[in-house]
Amino acid sequence: MSGLRRPDPSPPPYRAGRVSYRGRLTVALVTVGVLPVAGFGIVTLLFVDTADPGATMARVLLLAVAVAVAFALLLALLLASELSSPLRAIADSVERAAAGEEPTSPELAGDDELSRLAESHSRLARDLGRRSRELRRVLDILENTTLGERPEHLAVRAAGAARDAFGMIDCDVLLIDPREIPYEEPVPGEPIPVRAVLIANGEAQGIAVGHLPATRPWERSDQDLFELFAVEVAAAVRNAQLYARVERQNRQLVDLDAAKDDFLRGVSHNLQTPLASIRGYAQQLAAETPDRRLAIITEQADRLSRMVRQLLTVTRIESGALRPRQEVFAAGPRVRRTWEALGAADVPFTLEDGTVGWLALADPDQLDQVLWALLDNAVSYGGRTAVEARLTANPAGGELTITIADQGPGVEEEDRERLFRRFERGSDRPSGEGSGLGLYVSRELCRAMGGDLVLEPGEPGRGGASFMISLPAEAAEES
Amino acid sequence: MLHTGPGSIGSAPRILIVDDDPNLLVILADQLRADGYDVWTARDGEEALRRLAVAWPDLLIIDMLMPRMDGLTLAREVKARADLPIIVLSAIDTADSKADLLEEVAEDYVTKPYHYPELRARITRVLRRVGDRVPRQRLVLGPNLALELHRREAIVGGSAVSLTPTESRLLYALAANLGQTVTTETLLARGWADTEDADPSYVWVTMRRLRQKVELDPNKPVHLLTVRGIGYRLMSVASGEHV
Repeated sequence: MSGLRRPDPSPPPYRAGRVSYRGRLTVALVTVGVLPVAGFGIVTLLFVDTADPGATMARVLLLAVAVAVAFALLLALLLASELSSPLRAIADSVERAAAGEEPTSPELAGDDELSRLAESHSRLARDLGRRSRELRRVLDILENTTLGERPEHLAVRAAGAARDAFGMIDCDVLLIDPREIPYEEPVPGEPIPVRAVLIANGEAQGIAVGHLPATRPWERSDQDLFELFAVEVAAAVRNAQLYARVERQNRQLVDLDAAKDDFLRGVSHNLQTPLASIRGYAQQLAAETPDRRLAIITEQADRLSRMVRQLLTVTRIESGALRPRQEVFAAGPRVRRTWEALGAADVPFTLEDGTVGWLALADPDQLDQVLWALLDNAVSYGGRTAVEARLTANPAGGELTITIADQGPGVEEEDRERLFRRFERGSDRPSGEGSGLGLYVSRELCRAMGGDLVLEPGEPGRGGASFMISLPAEAAEES
Repeated sequence: MLHTGPGSIGSAPRILIVDDDPNLLVILADQLRADGYDVWTARDGEEALRRLAVAWPDLLIIDMLMPRMDGLTLAREVKARADLPIIVLSAIDTADSKADLLEEVAEDYVTKPYHYPELRARITRVLRRVGDRVPRQRLVLGPNLALELHRREAIVGGSAVSLTPTESRLLYALAANLGQTVTTETLLARGWADTEDADPSYVWVTMRRLRQKVELDPNKPVHLLTVRGIGYRLMSVASGEHV
């Protein structure tokens, strides 16, 4: 309600002594009615000799005066109360209005000050009531604005609300530059033109224009209320426009993302298809004429296709589209098979499987990717030292761990966390080697499968890097 | 390795391979022929559909990305003509969001570059599954369980639960023999035809997890029953017998 104008500070209230209005009126009436009688009584008392036998007459007279005074006092009180009742009614009505209730309109006959006061109060009460009704309707409309409503639609609804609330003949809310709508001069006897600019954030969003019946009074405060309405509509329109813009941008982003995914799928397909041919022909040839070189071609084709897949996985991690499956399988044999596919027969390898009777709950295809990256790292960064794979089951946690360790130089302290970031390698690695994605992709894949991948703290006196995969697991019992 | 030669349908099963890459077509055709399959090839979707008009193969292997008509469209066209089993070859792997879409139109899919032994295992499995057809529609097993295996979903107590490919394959085999016991060995062959070192414990654990998904009370199963020492049985529960 930032547009609400503060009322001017009210003039100092009229104060008249400490005695109430009714009290003073009573005193006035008593003064006018009783004093002459009382004066008469006192004069009589002073000039009449009480010893005189006519004194009895005087005492009767005095008693009559006393009764008259008492009666006059009572009458004065009643009259004062009756005379001030319209004022009390007006006061009650003002109190009701102040309390937010519908003010009453006291009616008084005649054409004196008091009846004029009552009439002007009634008019004030009616106007107040009308404006508060208008305000309530306008606020109702704005409260019922739903997020995502189109600005144009909102403008039409706001115009309808203004027409009903202000009793207009017509009203339009136009989302255009207000300067495009020329001012209309009011012509007596013709519908009264009204307008209010829609301002939000200091910017004109549009304009509300309409016509009132010629008989409808339109005061400063009515115009204020209309402008307040325009400000509120402007804020709602602006919100709706911003929301629409965000929605539009979101849609564009989703479309772009889908286009990117399609593009990458296409690239991946176009790379994998020739690799499939290369691999197929090499294997066919190897079956006919055994040659070590053919095995290398197959291995290298596999390596290349794994890298392509790694890139595809990165984009999926970024777009949140990574959805690994949860299948049931023994992890040990998969580690052995991945090692064999790596083609590092000259590197000593030991596999210690302590998970017999336990099955991993993970996506075997994705685990292959992780194992391949870790074993490949162990071979190339371990300087072709012995590679060791250790599998252990952790029955309490319902998980199993796979530790891949090499005997190489290990990982520098400052590289430990950096290694898992994208496109990062150990600080002493040649930049031409590897994609720099392996550990990042592997950790994300493990986490997506409900597990994790960590670099184990180096042990003093024992070199080498040791990575540990943890995965959900279950005991293999018949049920 | 489950080595099952072709010929379960009588004469050599006929496979139609559709791929726009001629090299791949030649290698794959050679490999499959060496294993005794009758192989046809097509370079694109239109050629494949022309061949379908002549005779139906027992299985189609379709490449996902092809010019003019992509694999998905072709698979839909084929399914509209006849419910022939389809294996899609693609660069899409299981973690891709499009994988589900593929599984709706295809019985299985193999990622490129394929490993021939794996592909052969899947072909064998798909051909064998032709014997136990389950309609590609909702299968209501009781008031609290319905299966939509073509969408890899179970509707349990009114809400959809997604199934893994292996889980839906097991349910497929069980649903085809509704009310009868299916041996653990059969289930192992259906679920893990392309896994070298699979053993019965794979079936046990998967069935336990499946029971947690499809039974309202996994400790008191009413649909997925264990026949101890033999295998499992899928039961339909009449709507009156609330358990």
